[in-house]
Amino acid sequence: MALSKVANKQAVQVGVKELTMIQAINDGLKTMLEEDPKTLLLGEDIGKNGGVFRATDGLQDVFGEKRVIDTPLSEAGFVGTAVGMALNGLKPVVEIQFLGFVYPAFEQIATHVTRMRTRTLGYYSMPMVIRAPYGAGVRSPEIHSDSVEALFVHLPGIKVVCPSTPYDAKGLLLASIADPDPVLFLEPMRLYRGKRQEVPAHDYRIELGKGEIVQQGEDVTIFAWGAMMPIAMEAAELMKEQGISCEVIDLRTLYPLDKAIIADSVQKTGRVVIIHEGHETGGVGSEIVSVIMETSFLYLRAPIEKVTGFDVPVPLFALEHTYLPTTERVSQAIQKVYSF
Amino acid sequence: MNALVQVKFSDMGEGMNEGEIIHYFVGVGDVVSVDQPLVEMQTDKMVAEIPAPAAGTIASIHYKEGDVVTVGNVIMEITTEAESAAPLSEMSNTRLQSASTTIATKKNATTVTNPYNRILAAPYTRKIARELGVDIEQIQGTGPAGRVLDDDVYQFAEQPETNKWTEEQESATQKLPQAEEEIRFAGIRKRIAEKMSYSVQTIPHVTHYDEVDLTHLLEERSVLKEMGESISVAAFFIKAVVICLKEFPIFNAQLEVEKEIIRLLKQYSIGIATHTEAGLMVPVIHDADQKSIRFMDEEMKRLIKKAKAGDLKLADMKQATFTVNNVGPLGGMAATPIINHPETAIMTFYKTKKVPVVTKDDALEIRSVMNVSVTFDHRVMDGAQSIAFTNRFKELIEHPTKLLLELI
Repeated sequence: MALSKVANKQAVQVGVKELTMIQAINDGLKTMLEEDPKTLLLGEDIGKNGGVFRATDGLQDVFGEKRVIDTPLSEAGFVGTAVGMALNGLKPVVEIQFLGFVYPAFEQIATHVTRMRTRTLGYYSMPMVIRAPYGAGVRSPEIHSDSVEALFVHLPGIKVVCPSTPYDAKGLLLASIADPDPVLFLEPMRLYRGKRQEVPAHDYRIELGKGEIVQQGEDVTIFAWGAMMPIAMEAAELMKEQGISCEVIDLRTLYPLDKAIIADSVQKTGRVVIIHEGHETGGVGSEIVSVIMETSFLYLRAPIEKVTGFDVPVPLFALEHTYLPTTERVSQAIQKVYSF
Repeated sequence: MNALVQVKFSDMGEGMNEGEIIHYFVGVGDVVSVDQPLVEMQTDKMVAEIPAPAAGTIASIHYKEGDVVTVGNVIMEITTEAESAAPLSEMSNTRLQSASTTIATKKNATTVTNPYNRILAAPYTRKIARELGVDIEQIQGTGPAGRVLDDDVYQFAEQPETNKWTEEQESATQKLPQAEEEIRFAGIRKRIAEKMSYSVQTIPHVTHYDEVDLTHLLEERSVLKEMGESISVAAFFIKAVVICLKEFPIFNAQLEVEKEIIRLLKQYSIGIATHTEAGLMVPVIHDADQKSIRFMDEEMKRLIKKAKAGDLKLADMKQATFTVNNVGPLGGMAATPIINHPETAIMTFYKTKKVPVVTKDDALEIRSVMNVSVTFDHRVMDGAQSIAFTNRFKELIEHPTKLLLELI
């Protein structure tokens, strides 16, 4: 404990570093392992190997095998193990190598992770984070490219968080680990090694359940998160050249949704485009539409447009670019709602 | 990137909802600049030119000359070259082009389907209507598929009197006996019909008659004529009317039944009922209280000429506060005029005749006498006011020197 406090102090002194998202996540995990001895990591190849994307690179060397634990290839097994740890006061951070690999653990999540607080009438909470890289665009094989956040948004009892920048990744990760309830922490693998950003070396937290206005605008609101944020920003930039002013909002937390930021922006612009790479039917976009109907019906000037992945299993890498929303598709949607 | 801009026949106000294409200034393939006139349209009341909303090349023309176009329909399309979008076109010109066609096609598809005949309007437009206290069902939309747009609501709210009443739908199912000749009941004729029916249906009309001795006025007029000033008697009438309106403000007023108020107007703009080949027109002399008799005479002649030529602009016909009706030149002793709603009265001048008049000294004299009538809205005033109004008019015209006293 004394040691970790010293380490933390040193971190504060280091100040700010230019990090990629994967480095920011590594930094966040390290920060939490230093700060709170109850925090521990579990996952396949996260220890010796440092993780399939190197999110846990070097952490086992620093914190040892008891805090950075390599597990067998058994998602249901180690998520179940984490349930037991959380019940006993630890704060497990589980890594699922790809979100598509979470399906074997779905039973644990749906029957135990999300219910423990209710089942015990609030006596036990479930301070667990399930980290999962998600999404297409990195030429992975089958099942590695899924973006099924909607499955979890539908389940009460687990928060769903999805950063789009290195800064947000660390701040949201620390807030997720600190949260007494379970959090599914989705990491857009496409952005892991994208733009570097200044990330404070110290502990800072971004409140869960709050979106962010990334760009102010007047004519059309674009809602997106994770890997779709760069697409949203590119489209907004193109539209600016055509005289259409877009407000771009990074929702950051998908459950609970930031209804206030959604309502406020829609009431300003009256026109909406929602982007997600998950399948269209039953996607989070539909839930956002529902929030808009509930809060801002009378402000709508045009039907809401969604630009989403299609209702097919995410195709293999040769075709994945045709599945993903593109700047062109988003631009067309913006023009459509703008000229309605 | 190339974009297709639609040139629509937009709402010109006054409840006009169709127009005839008279003449195209351009053809397909012509290059046009912004605001360049594209087409000349004859609406119910005027001839209007529709300017180009954007620079580009005429891509298509959807109507022939002589066709009647309903408000909101696309007359032609212009292909524009938006230079600002260069980076986009570099990126994927072809893809976006095909995309914009898809959008256009989709839009056209929506223009036909409205199976339940609902009023189409975006929620935000409905909100505006609700806030302005406007019944959106009464508004003729000018957007795609007849959708009511924000501007339609604002425009409607600004002209409540002319727009809020919509005629009953003609029952199309009723078979009429075969006529020998059919005249289209549309355009100006129909518009007049709507206005007249509405006025008669809502206003309890009362008409009061009197006769005015014009002998002195005609003498003065001849003197002026010898001096090279040819002024019509009507210009004197209007001057006298404006003086009377100032003294009897209820005649220059509007009744707003819903709000339970009578608005006494401080502006004196006199509508001149004018017979034209197309039908009755009412051009307006604005701010008549600030104009000399000579100036009003010139303006009246100019307006009447324009009316007869069918060249009146919308601004020439708006915002009358009182209307005069000079039927004298056409003939007639008396009539039952209809008030130009939402005004509260209308004054009519009939034919001037030389008649034998018994003077104060019981002698007979030949005098020039004209019948006048004042038709008023009995909801806002009574006969006594109308008589007082007419007496004052009579006094001013029978002794034109009295007009001098009112010079400002």
